[in-house]
Amino acid sequence: MSASDVLIEPTSHGVNILKSAAPILVGIALAVGIQFLLPSTVGPYYSRLVIDAGIAMILAVSLNIVNGMTGQFSIGHAGFMTIGAYTAGSITFYSSLLIWGTAAKHGSFLGSGEWMFVIACLCGGITASIAGFVVGLPSLRLRGDYLAIVTLGFGEILRVLLQQTGKVVDNAEIVRNAPLTTFATVPVGGAIGFDGIPKYTTLFWVYAFLAITVIFAYRLKRSSFGRAMLSVREDEIAAQAMGINTSRQKLLAFITAAFFAGVGGGLLAHESGVIISPKDAGFQRSFDYVIMTVLGGRGSITGVMLAAILLSGLPEVLRDFERYRIIIYAALLIFMMLSRPQGLFGIHEIWDFFPRSWKTLPWKKSPREEAQ
Amino acid sequence: MNQVLEHRSAGAAQQTLLEVKDLGISFGGLKAVQNFNLTLPSAGLYGLIGPNGAGKTTVFNLLTGIYQPQTGSLSLNGKNLLGCKPHEVTAAGIARTFQNIRLFPNLSILDNVRLAGQIRIRPKLVSTFLRTNGYREQEAALKAQAMDLLEIFDLQDRAEDLAQNLSYGHQRRLEIIRALATKPSVLLLDEPAAGLNPQEKLALAQSIRQIRDRFEVAILLIEHDMQLVMDICERIVVLDHGVTICEGTPQTVQNDEKVIAAYLGAIADDA
Repeated sequence: MSASDVLIEPTSHGVNILKSAAPILVGIALAVGIQFLLPSTVGPYYSRLVIDAGIAMILAVSLNIVNGMTGQFSIGHAGFMTIGAYTAGSITFYSSLLIWGTAAKHGSFLGSGEWMFVIACLCGGITASIAGFVVGLPSLRLRGDYLAIVTLGFGEILRVLLQQTGKVVDNAEIVRNAPLTTFATVPVGGAIGFDGIPKYTTLFWVYAFLAITVIFAYRLKRSSFGRAMLSVREDEIAAQAMGINTSRQKLLAFITAAFFAGVGGGLLAHESGVIISPKDAGFQRSFDYVIMTVLGGRGSITGVMLAAILLSGLPEVLRDFERYRIIIYAALLIFMMLSRPQGLFGIHEIWDFFPRSWKTLPWKKSPREEAQ
Repeated sequence: MNQVLEHRSAGAAQQTLLEVKDLGISFGGLKAVQNFNLTLPSAGLYGLIGPNGAGKTTVFNLLTGIYQPQTGSLSLNGKNLLGCKPHEVTAAGIARTFQNIRLFPNLSILDNVRLAGQIRIRPKLVSTFLRTNGYREQEAALKAQAMDLLEIFDLQDRAEDLAQNLSYGHQRRLEIIRALATKPSVLLLDEPAAGLNPQEKLALAQSIRQIRDRFEVAILLIEHDMQLVMDICERIVVLDHGVTICEGTPQTVQNDEKVIAAYLGAIADDA
């Protein structure tokens, strides 16, 4: 009798709307709330900060799948983000030119322009996840520092490649009549960045995507996939001996993390006041996200979210001390690493710190009862 | 009734489960294991002994695919296992424990066991994200199976604790539970008694026999505690410097000159 002879095949189908879809719907409802209430109460400056924090959270939570849950040290996450940003940006920019003759924003909330933007973001995610697959391959043979160097190299190679791209063609007539060879130069702006992408990113879309990212990451973590990823982090040899295909789990981690990074990049590319440029793919930005995952705690989704909020807000709080900002930022990090090296929440989630009485909700069963 | 049982066990004893022929591997110039042979019947309880560095753990690593053998053949139930990756070997039905405990320290006890059980599910990413009813059913089945196992070994009350918070003896027990959760037909135990006190060793001897009967697994055991090995093993293979120097029942092995020489040192010929 081998293990594959006793497969547990599910017999039931469908989705329990109340239990399965409710969190996603609640997340999207919250996003609608933020979209319509926040700008009028805190003004455009703080709204922009909230958007930045949202995108940072998407990036940090997705990186956490690779670095925190699977224990693979990747410092090329900004590379995936940039691939998503350029893919999504060129889709909306050139499609807008072709369809509406101008790259300006088209349509209002949930209008046709916004749907094009959403599809572009998803395409950005898919391209990024293909890159994630390619970058994930070395992780099957390399560990620790060596893998870090490969991922670092990926970001830098991408940065240099993007600098070689051609000028943006921002005239509808030229785009329509241009021979295909024009596009061989990849007209996405070269070293000066991709200017002119329509600015579709709103609080709603950022937080709707964030809700999906967080729910996905959480459900992944609590599923058999997540356990397999955690086991790779904990002890790869033992994981293999327990029948886990560790190669598959590592690749899966890279692919899913890159997908959400790509979507986050798409959101960043369409944020007003942002011009994506090749230097976004470089190691500085990647390090920002690595710091967020380290500070938040290995594999702790809520910890990483909190760290992302803190670290994207901190530079703004310290803006009055402009001259000392970087010093204070660095000193805080050093202090943090000395006093709490396991990160803010360690391996726990925020609710693990709540008193037990809060958690034992009447409808929750203890594991023993549930097993019966 | 007794006749039937005897008949069954006699039939089972004849059936070869794990067949190993001339297995060998060298690391550079070091011939770690040479010409290792083993025929393990279903429900057999065999021991593998030898002085330190004899190649016992290397044999386990060869059997489980961590090392690829350079010579020989290896089959389980007639199915060739040469060239299989470790997770494929486990899926085929060989599970193991480790000499130095290799639990997942930051996972709960339940998760440690559940993880080993999930070899029997084929999860899908989309249904995981949507938490479909099928997904919930699979997860519930996994959890129930894991809790059942923990209950048998009396660890069910600590299911939510982290594995690293268990005592040493319990950690050793959890390693065996975790290996059993893969529903193996062959269980390889690498020094299960290491670090246990005499009472715990007695209890372990008892439970190894029970595991064999209850879970219908064949067990191959590496152990330095001779009393334990001689007490429970039906047959014993003795390795020294990677070579099998003796194979037979405990009595045969105990009286074998080569075995005594390997453990106590050879008496010089000219003395």
